[in-house]
Amino acid sequence: MTLAMLPFMLAFLLLVAGLYAIVAKRNLIKVIVGLLILDYAANLLLVLMGYRTPPAGEAPVAPILTGGLAQADDLAASAVDPIPQALILTSIVIGLSVTALVVALAIRLYEKYGTFDTDLMRNLKG
Amino acid sequence: MQGMSPIVKNITRVVAGFIVLFGAYIVLYGHVTPGGGFTGGVILAGGLALVVLAFGEEFARKVLTHEVAKTADSMGALLFLLVAVLGFAGGVFFTNFLPTGTVGSLVSAGTIPIANLGIGIKVGAGLFGVFLALAAFRRTTAGGKKEVDVLQSDI
Repeated sequence: MTLAMLPFMLAFLLLVAGLYAIVAKRNLIKVIVGLLILDYAANLLLVLMGYRTPPAGEAPVAPILTGGLAQADDLAASAVDPIPQALILTSIVIGLSVTALVVALAIRLYEKYGTFDTDLMRNLKG
Repeated sequence: MQGMSPIVKNITRVVAGFIVLFGAYIVLYGHVTPGGGFTGGVILAGGLALVVLAFGEEFARKVLTHEVAKTADSMGALLFLLVAVLGFAGGVFFTNFLPTGTVGSLVSAGTIPIANLGIGIKVGAGLFGVFLALAAFRRTTAGGKKEVDVLQSDI
């Protein structure tokens, strides 16, 4: 349990919190918030994978070319990996679309049953 | 959903053009700076949602209608498909057949800026259509005009 594993453990903690909200809550809006937290925890974990620890005493290097093309090779050897960051941008927008779909379903369920409580939704007849 | 006060409307007239311009900048410079189609499309959708919120439902029914959002959505998807099918001119499906210039300039990286443009249009129009369908058009709720307490604290 070194200190380098601490960000990963905290991302897992967020993931477990989101999963608990999906499984154990009765209010539909709380389930949707749990789904959001789970999605963002997975994205955070994947971005954390791309980190490259710098040599001792230096700051981590951002993958931005400030010195032109001549700097590209040693930037590629020392910078944080930019590919997970670019792909997780896509994944965040996909999570937004999934949230929109789920919220539309919740609105429709509220119009049909008049409540957000999932226990009551099982007992009422349409 | 009616519009907001004249202060909000006047400020929106000034600001909304800059928001759309910023979104277009993020989309078109996606191969040079961080960003690209997805984030630029989200900024575009935010700017359009600001205009509909400030000017009310009548604006959403007359000028920026749901049909416009759906048409722009399909046009973005067709542009992306066109870029992919035109890759046959280079040999295989989705080849980068345009010349790749110098790293860091605007006209470079082949077909990637055109694909970014298609994605930006699609994401912007799609998220704006989602906003219209969920929030802008009035709907009847079950059981009449009841106030919705979403986070009911006993469950």
